[in-house]
Amino acid sequence: MNFKALWAIAVKDMRAIWSSAQIWMPMIVVPFIFTLVLPGVLIGVSRYGNLQDLNMDQIVRLLEKLPRGPLHDEIFAWKTPLLQMLYFGLNYFFAPFFLMIPLMASSIISANSFAGEKEGQTLESLLFAPVDILSLFVGKLLAALIPSLILTYGCAIVYGTVVNLGAGPIFGRWIFPSANWMMLIFWVTPWLSLMSIFFTVLVSAKVRTFQEAYQMGGLVILPVLALLFTQIAGVLFLDTVVLFWIGLGLLAVDGILIKLLERYVDRNQLFESQVG
Amino acid sequence: MNDEVIASENVIKSFAGRRVLDSLDFVVPKGQIVGLLGPNGSGKTTTVRLLNGVIAPDSGRIKVAGYDPQTRGDEIRKRSGVLTESAGLYRNLSGSENLNFFAALYDVPQPNERINKLLNDFGLDSAKDRKVGTYSTGMKKRLGIAKALLHSPEILFLDEPTTGLDPEGTRDLLEYIARLNREHGVTILLCTHLLQQVQDLCHRFIFLSNGRVLEQGGLAEIEAKYLVEIRLNVETDLVVSEDTFAGYPISERKPGHLVFRLPGKTAIPRLLQEILKQAAVYSAEVTGRDLETLYFTIRGESH
Repeated sequence: MNFKALWAIAVKDMRAIWSSAQIWMPMIVVPFIFTLVLPGVLIGVSRYGNLQDLNMDQIVRLLEKLPRGPLHDEIFAWKTPLLQMLYFGLNYFFAPFFLMIPLMASSIISANSFAGEKEGQTLESLLFAPVDILSLFVGKLLAALIPSLILTYGCAIVYGTVVNLGAGPIFGRWIFPSANWMMLIFWVTPWLSLMSIFFTVLVSAKVRTFQEAYQMGGLVILPVLALLFTQIAGVLFLDTVVLFWIGLGLLAVDGILIKLLERYVDRNQLFESQVG
Repeated sequence: MNDEVIASENVIKSFAGRRVLDSLDFVVPKGQIVGLLGPNGSGKTTTVRLLNGVIAPDSGRIKVAGYDPQTRGDEIRKRSGVLTESAGLYRNLSGSENLNFFAALYDVPQPNERINKLLNDFGLDSAKDRKVGTYSTGMKKRLGIAKALLHSPEILFLDEPTTGLDPEGTRDLLEYIARLNREHGVTILLCTHLLQQVQDLCHRFIFLSNGRVLEQGGLAEIEAKYLVEIRLNVETDLVVSEDTFAGYPISERKPGHLVFRLPGKTAIPRLLQEILKQAAVYSAEVTGRDLETLYFTIRGESH
């Protein structure tokens, strides 16, 4: 591996994030909604809203579906439905929303980094350079993975601060991060980001422009929406164990995607299929 | 032979069943500027790609700087600089950012020094902080060549280097190419369809048509082979009423000019001596001797 070239490619593509509002705007808006607006509204309503107006029935029904176990005990350790609802919302319900941050970031950045190279007719220059294809791929992968993880961890800190400062007084202690959040951030997020990047690379190989890759890459949001709904439906709750298995599943998917990408890690194949 | 930097032997390449190169045979001697000439679609770009190992031939043998592009491609790519037709620069990066990026890819020692020199050489000093997207075609081309020269390559591949350049830019570039070759011994393969531009620049020519090499060699060599008849336009007071003079046919008469058809260059001094015995000669010029005419002559014969 050619680390100098690899890093030069990664740095170039990371800097390209700021080149277009289409790329950086979603990376500000989406985290803003999921780390500030959503928890802020939930906490605000809990603290200052008229609780009589809140229809707690649905939430209570949802929480009743919780199977007996550590998660059940964790939530029902709080005595009032409000605290149970708030604890569940902040620590579990928002988790799938939060996953959209790394997903979106890695998808947009890698769409720009891979399809952008093709669209701008610069892939040719890269392939004419004495840089092995694996270094080229890894450089581009890091260009999406690093910002995606930094953004996720930054958002986790902001989210934690909002939750602890906002809801801490209600609970009488800090409730973030719980074990499932640690699992989410450090185990699920990296594999999820990689999946999103690999998927976008595959899509980029089939389309001509960044725009197309960006739109197709958005499809990776679907499994996260599925998680969200299974949780709403009370089918699956994202506790530590479930998240562990999800992470493992993503790792397996990453392995399959790498296998599918393997054929592109060849200069001639890449040139003939991607350069006009 | 050791002094061949590039050798292509019986190379065949097809894309989607269409044969783009058909038993391509040619050599490029070390330290020469060789023009790869042919119309668009004749296979010039494909040839450059094959020589750099970014695409694979269907069959045949290629050696560049002693290496096989398919097995030791990076050794070739380290030694070669390529200007592609689109120049392949990043529009959202500035001129100097582009060069810095490629300097890292090519592992250029002391990149800043080299970059500043090249920016200066190509008159891009004042535009170096501007995004390449705002550059004119000529500026992009110049930056593309600066990029190709970053790592001081031994072999330079230039694909249509003058398209988009104004006459002044073209002249400057061709002079720069000649100097690069003269002073640094860089071997240059220059692909173009603009034959007149490179006539005086190249040591050798390779005529390409429909993926085949029609002819190759130095201008004198090719001329000797194909220029069986030359036309000499003589500015003279001589008045001739017959169709021939001193045994040479007159093909055209213009006021003060006579155009003779001669069997070869050796006939020129003999004819002029005969004319001078009777009248004054003010100038004599061989016409139809330019590269383009030669190209069409060769192409006509091969069809």
